[in-house]
Amino acid sequence: MTGRSTSPRNTASQDEPIIYVVDDDASVREALRNLFRSVGLRVEVFGSGSEFLDSRHPDVAGCLILDIRLPRLSGLDFQVELAKTGIHIPIIFMTGHGDIPMTVRAMKAGAVDFLTKPFRDQDMLDAVTAAIERDRTSRNEARILADLHAHFATLTAREREIMTLVTSGLMNKQIAAEIGIAEITVKIHRGQIMRKMAAKSLADLVKMAQALDLQRAAPRQ
Amino acid sequence: MRNLNLKFLRSAEQSLLGGMALASLTAACIWLVLGPAPEIADYLIAVVLLFALFLASLIVMHLVGNSRREMEAALVSRASAELQAIQALRASEAQWKEVFEHNPVMYFMVDADGIVLSVNTFGAAQLGYRVDELRGQSVLKVFFEADRDAVRQSVEICLANIGQPHNWEIRKVRKDGSTLWVRENAKAVRRQDNRLIVLVACEDITERKEAENALRQSGNYLAEAQRLSRTGSFGWRLVTGEIIWSDETFRIFGYDKAPSVALDMVIQRIHPDDRAGAQQTIDQASSDGKDFDHEYRLLMPDGTVKYVHATAHAVTDASGSIEFVGAVTDVTARRQAEEKLQQAQAELAHVTRVTALGELAASIAHEVNQPLAAVVANAAAAQRWLNRDTPDLQEARSALLSIVDDGNRAGEVIQRVRGLVSKNTDPKVPLDTNEIVNEVIALLHRELFSHRISLRTELAPALGPVLGDRIQLQQVILNLIINGIEAMQPVTDRPRELVIRTQQEDTHQILVAVTDCGVGLATENANRVFDAFFSTKSGGMGMGLSICRSIVESHGGRLSACGNGGPGATFQFGLPMHLEDQTP
Repeated sequence: MTGRSTSPRNTASQDEPIIYVVDDDASVREALRNLFRSVGLRVEVFGSGSEFLDSRHPDVAGCLILDIRLPRLSGLDFQVELAKTGIHIPIIFMTGHGDIPMTVRAMKAGAVDFLTKPFRDQDMLDAVTAAIERDRTSRNEARILADLHAHFATLTAREREIMTLVTSGLMNKQIAAEIGIAEITVKIHRGQIMRKMAAKSLADLVKMAQALDLQRAAPRQ
Repeated sequence: MRNLNLKFLRSAEQSLLGGMALASLTAACIWLVLGPAPEIADYLIAVVLLFALFLASLIVMHLVGNSRREMEAALVSRASAELQAIQALRASEAQWKEVFEHNPVMYFMVDADGIVLSVNTFGAAQLGYRVDELRGQSVLKVFFEADRDAVRQSVEICLANIGQPHNWEIRKVRKDGSTLWVRENAKAVRRQDNRLIVLVACEDITERKEAENALRQSGNYLAEAQRLSRTGSFGWRLVTGEIIWSDETFRIFGYDKAPSVALDMVIQRIHPDDRAGAQQTIDQASSDGKDFDHEYRLLMPDGTVKYVHATAHAVTDASGSIEFVGAVTDVTARRQAEEKLQQAQAELAHVTRVTALGELAASIAHEVNQPLAAVVANAAAAQRWLNRDTPDLQEARSALLSIVDDGNRAGEVIQRVRGLVSKNTDPKVPLDTNEIVNEVIALLHRELFSHRISLRTELAPALGPVLGDRIQLQQVILNLIINGIEAMQPVTDRPRELVIRTQQEDTHQILVAVTDCGVGLATENANRVFDAFFSTKSGGMGMGLSICRSIVESHGGRLSACGNGGPGATFQFGLPMHLEDQTP
């Protein structure tokens, strides 16, 4: 009942976003599968939260459509569970009418949208598009940060120290004085840092330092 | 003889005759002596004549003596006979007087004006009077004022029909004012002096009259009781086919009172729909002669319908023939009251059902929204499959099939709800208890879910059918489940589990039990929960369980509640199994 089928038309691209549907009602999840397939979206459906957790998720943009009233583990509890296991995916909740307190809770916990059954197909598609876009953005950001970390990891300890001091606004002379090396040596390190971090300018490097959250240690007395 | 001779000699006639003979003899002698001397011949003739005369006198004397003797004997015997007759008459008179005076019959002789000429002692005594207190008084004195006209009329009749006896029954009043019932036999006769008198003989019938009155009163009481209780009695002699009805039975069947009743008259009144059944009962009773008990309807000529209950006991008399003695009760009023009660109960059940459904509105809306959401999504998908540059008909068709399924599913939910909201109660039909349980559960999935209650069903397979009203039984189960849900509301320290069990107990009944693990049931409330307006809930109307109990009881079952060994309570009801040969 929870067969994960993707539209044959969309198997080609592994980068295609995937929509995950979790609903205990078979006809609802099959209808959603049908709807998304008809607009050419990849979709996987699950009967419960645990089935979703047990499955493997390719590293592509996606979103999760979740019924707020699920047997055993409710949609809200499942939302918390996901956050704990480190799966960050935009969640669109579906609900019957009159679940306002639940709506508030879900939104506070980071749900991107809320749809009341029965929903208009366009509302659902819009919500899904927006959620995927959001996931794509956050995935990009995450990838950039990951690259940054990777670059940063190639720096030597001295280079990291100098990068911290450079991006905190110290002149080469001041850095040389600070760490007790020749100014020329600082310059050489600085050149290495710019190359390894693929920074085009000092401003670029400063932004990277901010993203990496580099903080100058307390000046030694 | 000697005495007779002496008498004979002394008799006066004899002396007279003897004297006359002697006188004649003497005269003849004197004539012979003193008269002219007759010639011898003459003398002789005279002597002869004298002698002859003497002889003749003697003969006559003898004859006279004889006849006198005979006459005297006759006289003596006549005198003694007369004496005897007088004595006999006196004895007879005394005897009759005795009879007249003391015979336990009151005799009155009154004149045409009603004045008492005579009365016997017994009669006077019976009325508390002495004879002389009544004699010469108007006979009306011993009658009640109110009856006096009747007395006058009766006397008139007697006087108008002389010699003809008349009788009547009437009250008399004693001197002390007490009442005496008498039967009077009277006739008027004309006395020798040409006066008309009325002879009256009265017999005391007070005891009989009292018995009669008591009997009549008892009969009246019985008739009154029959009228009040609308119960008529009947007798039915099998051999002769003779049927006897009481007045009330005639009234119930709407016939004028008649000396005899035909079985056809009974059949004719029985409602056509009940005729076959009644005929069967009659035939059965005729053939086996056993007590019977039957309820049927009568269709009266004016179109009204009466419900009657007939019950009869078979009595066998000395000759071995069977007679049914029975009662027919008009139970129409009771039936109508029952029907009204049933109607009121159905209405109340409806109200509580709707109230319960109101509480479930959110859950039920969800049950409808699920398939509706699927319908909308599938319809949108179908549209898109068709709008493609090359329409994908297969996908569109499959989406449409899903729409049909989901549409039906939503329809079913609505139908179920509409059934429960419906005011009508269905006729009782054989039902599968498990099916009813499942139908109710289908409505309650969401409700259970939103209260975080897990439902466990232990439904015994292949249950026998029960005869019932689907909606009402669904209501009972719905109510019990909602109660269980509410009872588990405060539970946070253990899983909230509701168990529904069905079970067949031998061949007689189907048991349905709803067990929760909620707050349980205080012992003192175990029975009160079924009372109307009893509620432990602040918002409860307190009708739910009371209605459930009446519904179950109207199905011939019983609903009970008990605390569990552990936490929670179990509500259980049994319904009698419907056997195939029972007509619904």
